[in-house]
Amino acid sequence: MSLRRRRATPAEGPKRPRFLFWEVSPLTRRRIDQFRQNRRGFWSLMIFVGIFAGTWLAEGFANDKPLLIELGGQRYYPILERYSERDFGGVFPTQPDYRERYFAQLIDEQGGRMIWPPIRFHHSTIDKLLPPGVSAPAPPSRQHWLGTDEAARDVVARLIYGIRESIVFALVLTLSSSVIGIAAGAVQGYYGGWVDLLFQRLIEVWGAIPFLYVVIIISSLVVPNLLWLIVILLFFTWTSLVGLVRAEFLRVRNFEYVKAARALGVRDRVIIVRHVLPNAMVSTITFLPFIMSGAVVSLTSLDFLGYGLSPEDYARLGELLNQGKNNTQAPWLAFSSFFTIAFMLTLLVFVGEAVRDAFDPRKTLV
Amino acid sequence: MSLPTQIPQSRTSTGERLLEVENLAVSFGRGEKESRAVRGVSFHVAAGETVSLVGESGSGKSVSALSILGLLPYPQAWHPGGSIRFKGRELLNAGDRELRQVRGREITMVFQEPMTSLNPLHSIERQLVEMIQLHQPLTRERARDHAIEMLELVGLPDPARRLNALPHELSGGQRQRVMIAMALANGPDLLIADEPTTAVDVTIQAQILELVARLQQRLGMAVLWITHDLAIVRKISDRIYVMHEGELKETGTPTQIFEQPQHAYTQHLLASQPSGRPRPAPPDAPEIMRADALKVWFPIKAGVLRRTVGHVKAVDGVTVAIREGQTVGVVGESGSGKTTLGLAMLRLTRATDGQVAYLGQDLLALSPSDMRARRAELQAVFQDPYGSLSPRMSVGQIVAEGLRAHDLAADPDERRRLIAEALTEVGLDPDTQDRYPHEFSGGQRQRIAIARALVLRPRFMVLDEPTSALDMSVQAQIVELLRELQLRHALAYLFISHDLKMVRAMAEHIVVMRGGRVVEQGTADQVFDAPREPYTRALMAAAFDLEAVAGDVVST
Repeated sequence: MSLRRRRATPAEGPKRPRFLFWEVSPLTRRRIDQFRQNRRGFWSLMIFVGIFAGTWLAEGFANDKPLLIELGGQRYYPILERYSERDFGGVFPTQPDYRERYFAQLIDEQGGRMIWPPIRFHHSTIDKLLPPGVSAPAPPSRQHWLGTDEAARDVVARLIYGIRESIVFALVLTLSSSVIGIAAGAVQGYYGGWVDLLFQRLIEVWGAIPFLYVVIIISSLVVPNLLWLIVILLFFTWTSLVGLVRAEFLRVRNFEYVKAARALGVRDRVIIVRHVLPNAMVSTITFLPFIMSGAVVSLTSLDFLGYGLSPEDYARLGELLNQGKNNTQAPWLAFSSFFTIAFMLTLLVFVGEAVRDAFDPRKTLV
Repeated sequence: MSLPTQIPQSRTSTGERLLEVENLAVSFGRGEKESRAVRGVSFHVAAGETVSLVGESGSGKSVSALSILGLLPYPQAWHPGGSIRFKGRELLNAGDRELRQVRGREITMVFQEPMTSLNPLHSIERQLVEMIQLHQPLTRERARDHAIEMLELVGLPDPARRLNALPHELSGGQRQRVMIAMALANGPDLLIADEPTTAVDVTIQAQILELVARLQQRLGMAVLWITHDLAIVRKISDRIYVMHEGELKETGTPTQIFEQPQHAYTQHLLASQPSGRPRPAPPDAPEIMRADALKVWFPIKAGVLRRTVGHVKAVDGVTVAIREGQTVGVVGESGSGKTTLGLAMLRLTRATDGQVAYLGQDLLALSPSDMRARRAELQAVFQDPYGSLSPRMSVGQIVAEGLRAHDLAADPDERRRLIAEALTEVGLDPDTQDRYPHEFSGGQRQRIAIARALVLRPRFMVLDEPTSALDMSVQAQIVELLRELQLRHALAYLFISHDLKMVRAMAEHIVVMRGGRVVEQGTADQVFDAPREPYTRALMAAAFDLEAVAGDVVST
């Protein structure tokens, strides 16, 4: 009998494929390579991630508070901490308005120094110091690179914060609706029969409800905040993945390696997690960028119609777009918001295309 | 049956070279990724003769044939060199206009898969008439008459009435006949047959071979036959070209090739036919597995209320017993219920009635968790080694899956040791357990699938067509391996196959199935040497002599 005794040797031989720090299966590795080969999609992703990461530093380069105040040998960081005017030798116990001329003089007189971010406006800052003869919306100038909106808020600042909020919103919405969608699709595809039939009809009816009107009705009942808006939209976006995951489950259930696993005596639960779910993930991941761009569009359209979040507290791209429509004499509003949204959506679609190609079995499995 | 008037008689006199392929080269991809699928292949076909290109998968035979009509996926595929001359005209890298003149009229093709070669949405009339009108200036009615003549010619029963049939209403064999009718509709000088019988049953294969031979004589066309099946080649060819890894290895008449093969590869190919006989189990070996009057019926539901109006009787009262160390072969055409029987014995599909006893214990009465515990001893190897291994798992993980499910290894070290043992036993390097399935060939994958079953120390295994997706020479090796493992571990096999040669080499006891029922059952010698039933005799004739049996004994 050829049962040679062998020591359990550590894995040698060919290097196992990796992605960043994780060990991945060669299939995944090939898909990543395929994705990177699509240069347009790859760079779109890089730019998108870069912009998104950049907007998290927005407080550092678009703010109405100085980065640093040096006064009497002491350093103050107004962005990070809250100071009262008295700390700087002023009169009031409240937080100073750092942008006022009075405050600048106050620091100057004491021989202090202020370092400002490149854009001296937060998205909510209303510029009361517009030059004489200029009224909001103010045209682009050295101070306001892309002008201001109707309420004299800086457009660049609003775009930067607006991008961040759109992406955060889209990410949260996409991830939560995928989780619900995959779970629902898995249940349907796995149990089949009556459960499947019932769910499918339910989703069909559900899908026929015009979501915009429902959101408008709900937002007239409650004052929407970010969480509310996500929950409401979630009600309508979770269905987008169900059909896909369900079909994938029905298909994979009949694969020979699933049959083989059943013959080995593996539990159903393990089979689902180990064999069926990864297959469903393929189509899910392919869809994610498109769901995300859809989420950005829904948020923007709600803002445009004025049913989103209040523009005082949140920077809204859709709201800016609406202002552009109302102020055709101030084209900087319409142009800047339009190009920002178009650029973001284009990036997402390019990424989506590259992901779709990377998961195309004809390109990676052969 | 009258000879259709539209078919011109052979346009060239016999003996003249119709097709000349010289130094043909085909590459896929360019630069570093270039893979040279065909390298300098030359062959010719004279008018009226049958020429075969033989080889295993990856030998470049199909790629060579497809380049004749320019059907490769250009521009990924390209030709570094060579020439293909048809009646003196150069076809290689010819323009689309020129090729369209030739395609479907002077050279036609029949493909392997009758299920997908016809458009499922169009009636066969529409597909045939389209093909005819494309190349002949006929009115609709004339074209339709011609279509009926063609269907009559290929032996489709009652062609005028079947003209409106959609492809799914026809059986596999009938669909292949329609394909042939389409290929011959415009009276081609050369028919390229790309494995047209690989996907059909042996009985239908014999009918198709006979049909093509008959039509060839009648219409005086040449046939270029692409196949991996040596038995077919031997029977039908005037000349044989043996291909291997993109190169031509040997040329000759069937007698030369089969009697005095010159090239080492040809000799290897001929020697790798499954041979030998199984070693019989000892007469006192205990019975391991038994199915009694087993029935698997699938309900047919109809109407709004989905009431059951009838049943598909996939397995209808089958009794079979397997002893320790014994192989029981199950043979029959597709749809005869062989696979369902195997699945039902493992309780992978629900039996409607009857009993399955493993060591005297009724498996169908066990609770799901008790059944799961039994599964370690009851294993299966499936047909498709590409589908039965998850591409996401390493070989080690694949083999370990059963060990984990049954907690058979105390710790990772022991698990690794058991996996290495199993891989060694099936003839694989145990160090391969960290690699992934896509790095292995079909035969090696099937060995991994066998290791996955073997590592659980089973006593009974269902082998569901374990060799039919593999190349001929690999099939013989897998049969050898299975016999060896059986001897070593006293395994009981239920060997399901449509390939009677393989069954002859493996099984001691034979069950012949048809329509869910056992037609004949007995020892291999009885069934093979003295078959009692006409159906069994027809099956044997088709498989061993490639002879079609007239009458309605077998399906069409």
